[in-house]
Amino acid sequence: MTKRRVAAVLLLLLFGVLLAAEHVAPYSYATQFRDAPNARPSRSFPLGTDALGRDRLSRLIYGGRGSMLLAPAAALLSVGMALAISLLAGCLGRWWERGAMAMADLSLSMPWLFALLAIRALLPLNAPPVATMLVTFGLLGLLGWAAPSRVMLASVKRHLQSDFVLLARASGCPRGRLALVHLAPNLLPLALAQFLVTTPVFLLAEATLGLLGLGVPEPLPSWGGLLQELENLPSIAASPWILAPLLVLIAVVGLFHLLVSADPYSV
Amino acid sequence: MAVASRAALLLTILIAGGLLAATLVRVAPGFGMDERLLDARLNNDSRTAIERQLSQGSDIVAYYGEYLRRLWRGDLGDSISLGRPVRELLSERCGVSLRSGLAGMGLAWATALLAVVVLELARAKTCEAVASLAAGALLCVPTAVVALGCLYLGGKPSLAVAAILFSRIFRYLRNIVRSACQAPHVLAAKALGIRRFRLLTFHVMAPVWPEILALAGVSVSMAVGALIPVEALCDSPGVGQLVWQAAVARDLPVLVNVTLIITGLTAAANLMADTFRATREAWA
Repeated sequence: MTKRRVAAVLLLLLFGVLLAAEHVAPYSYATQFRDAPNARPSRSFPLGTDALGRDRLSRLIYGGRGSMLLAPAAALLSVGMALAISLLAGCLGRWWERGAMAMADLSLSMPWLFALLAIRALLPLNAPPVATMLVTFGLLGLLGWAAPSRVMLASVKRHLQSDFVLLARASGCPRGRLALVHLAPNLLPLALAQFLVTTPVFLLAEATLGLLGLGVPEPLPSWGGLLQELENLPSIAASPWILAPLLVLIAVVGLFHLLVSADPYSV
Repeated sequence: MAVASRAALLLTILIAGGLLAATLVRVAPGFGMDERLLDARLNNDSRTAIERQLSQGSDIVAYYGEYLRRLWRGDLGDSISLGRPVRELLSERCGVSLRSGLAGMGLAWATALLAVVVLELARAKTCEAVASLAAGALLCVPTAVVALGCLYLGGKPSLAVAAILFSRIFRYLRNIVRSACQAPHVLAAKALGIRRFRLLTFHVMAPVWPEILALAGVSVSMAVGALIPVEALCDSPGVGQLVWQAAVARDLPVLVNVTLIITGLTAAANLMADTFRATREAWA
């Protein structure tokens, strides 16, 4: 429990810092210092500057804000969809349940990265960076419902056999009320656990897409986009501070894993 | 009967996936455009003929029918960016990806199984903590960074795939074995003084084969997903690299057809794992 509390406090602190990016970051993420490209860490630039003379620390903070806001939002979308689908499938009968599970099988059989790349290629070439970022995380959210829905449907089926649901049914409780009033509140702890499992998955997915050059486009920073500097091995050896986004990402994902491992509802 | 219903589900999945793929190609930006229309040497009749040819794809149902007919003949269409048939590109690259994927999966499974057996036999808390920490740390690193790390260390793509899969397989396998060790029959066998290795192989591992087979099915999907970053970053000319190049060039015919094929293969692998598991359970 203590581990969980420490992880939650650290994540909330980080979240607070990233939300206040305008006040915390020394410069704007797009401000260029053209006389100081690839500068080493100094008092003015604690993590140095990139090849375009932009402050790395500011970009790390602003990038973190985007990733840390949108990954949980995408996870919320996934878990919300999973909750709705599992409640519908569980309450409406066997055929709905089979249909939902067939859809989940289709989603799980489809390697998400392939599907994501295929759908993302539909975006117009001149789409603004913010729209691309929203679409990328939105797609992650839409594609990630299948795994949580299987876990939640199993829980719905278990709850449907419980005494309180049988009593509600015997009292003539309509299906909608049964789902919303009797089942949904009992699924919330499981939904929270699934949210905690899914958020780091989306953070890592965005990082992988960013490193492949398929994530959030310039000049908008994201943790994935900042990792693109790692593709140059000599520059890592010469300026190890470019590893900072990776270390922060690992720490954040580690904190989420710590939260999950201490959660009694994690599956 | 169970196998037949699973096969029917697989077929439904493939047909639904095909419809999705055809719809994606149909609604892609640039669909129905032909650079021949810009040729000033063509007369009106020729342009009308080209436009009529292009308009055949405007009805999505007819387009899907034509798409299925071509798919049945093995025609997956042409790559926009590379100007070559997708089938030809896939046949050139499948071997490379199969080798990397299978070798990586084999290595990951062998290492994970070995680690679980050693940990279970040794029962040392320090070893357990180190293994959990190493696997947990690997899970916190993006797959693309793991691939880059392997590349910088001089490893082959298969090693990168193995490093990506190991942490996931190890974690699930360890949980399966750990919970199996708490089963009453294992505790009874332990109390009878049966040797650790025999206990592990006959009493712990044997009953959890169905779960291990299911995990094997899932690991195929994991390996396929890992191939894109690995091949793109390690410059390995496989299907993963083709997909990455297609994504960069917005080459939708390549992307959707490869996605469809991979979905079919993954679903088939899961079907096989499920069937083995069902047969094993029925036999038991």
